Amino acid sequence: MMRFLQISLLFIILTSCSLPTTRGLVEKPIDKKYVLNNFFSDKKKDYLYKAKIDIYNKKLGGILIIKKIGKEHHRIVFTTEIGNKIFDFEIISDDFKVNYMLDELNKNMVLNTLQSNFNILVKQHISVEKQLNSAKEIIFKTSYDDNFDLYYFYLKEDKKLFKIIKASKKKEKVIFDFLETRNNVGTKIAIIHQNIQLKIHLNYIGN
Amino acid sequence: MNKHIFFVLSFLVLNSFNCFSQDEEMSIINSNQLREKIIEKSKETLTIVSDFEQFKHLDFLSNDIKSSGKLVFKSPNFIKWEYTVPFKYSVVFKNDKLFINDEGVKSKIDLSSNKTFKSLNNLIIKSVKGDMFDDNLFDIKYFKNTKNYIIKFYPKDSSLKSIINVFILSFDKESLDVVEIIMKENLEDYTLLKFVNQKINTPVNDEVFTN
Repeated sequence: MMRFLQISLLFIILTSCSLPTTRGLVEKPIDKKYVLNNFFSDKKKDYLYKAKIDIYNKKLGGILIIKKIGKEHHRIVFTTEIGNKIFDFEIISDDFKVNYMLDELNKNMVLNTLQSNFNILVKQHISVEKQLNSAKEIIFKTSYDDNFDLYYFYLKEDKKLFKIIKASKKKEKVIFDFLETRNNVGTKIAIIHQNIQLKIHLNYIGN
Repeated sequence: MNKHIFFVLSFLVLNSFNCFSQDEEMSIINSNQLREKIIEKSKETLTIVSDFEQFKHLDFLSNDIKSSGKLVFKSPNFIKWEYTVPFKYSVVFKNDKLFINDEGVKSKIDLSSNKTFKSLNNLIIKSVKGDMFDDNLFDIKYFKNTKNYIIKFYPKDSSLKSIINVFILSFDKESLDVVEIIMKENLEDYTLLKFVNQKINTPVNDEVFTN
């Protein structure tokens, strides 16, 4: 009886420490060397979103504009509804360039968070390090940096990307949910941070 | 022969400049008269109700971002800016406060706490009426073409200048109503607002400005 209790306790401790993202998933041999996130891949398209940002219960709204302007080169601009720029970034491969940032927001923590979010959101080619399967999903794991990994969730049924999770070895940090998609465009996207009170909701308003 | 080609080319180049420079800078006397008339007109403007179309031009985009809605102004400083297409969003400027209704989610910003917001708010109200003639705030230049008077306001204040490089207001030559506002951020990027179906001094209830 004592032994059973010890084993049960050990099992509970082990599962509670494990990353919830991969719980119950089965590791499989890798199908492909890399996978694609094509939601911001069309150079002819202007990706326009009505954005709602909820940060520590403060609400901020505006228009988020994402444009692919070259191979691994995106421009990301956020304006107020009336049209004034709040920030203007460029991502060129692994480089991040700040063209403009409103003084009030020009703080390292804000910049680092936005940089990481947009890097993950627009990155098209993702090299696969591990593949995990569930009954309905295929999950590809890749490392983001020394401390974090990214998990890309695809539906087996239609091979569509529907979620990206940025996680440490033990905890999920940011969840990117592609809640609705149409013709290769993420029409409803939610970026939910788990460690800070930050939620970004994007609703597509382009053609 | 070469001389001929040079003359023909010069003629073509000069002519093409002429085609583009339809706006003619006004003399100081005419500018001052126009300024007086517009200030007089804005004093008589108690309310404005107008539809607007907005075009956000960013150099790197394939198309301008279009939106439209309705503007309501009531003297001295109530204004409602309401977008209906392609999203529902409205902002009311009232008593130094900014009330936002973003698809039903309401928030309030106290403008008195933020210098840039406050000056931008005052400018929006003044630009709608056309009365932005403050020589301490702007370098002002006057132009005209066949249809409109065009007045360019270059901010002097560095914090405002970092957001808006120049405000360009177009006035109908007959009515002196503001028909177009351009807010240029830099050489390439700007926001263009066109006002259509304008009604001046039509009765406006205060309840319009609850957001």
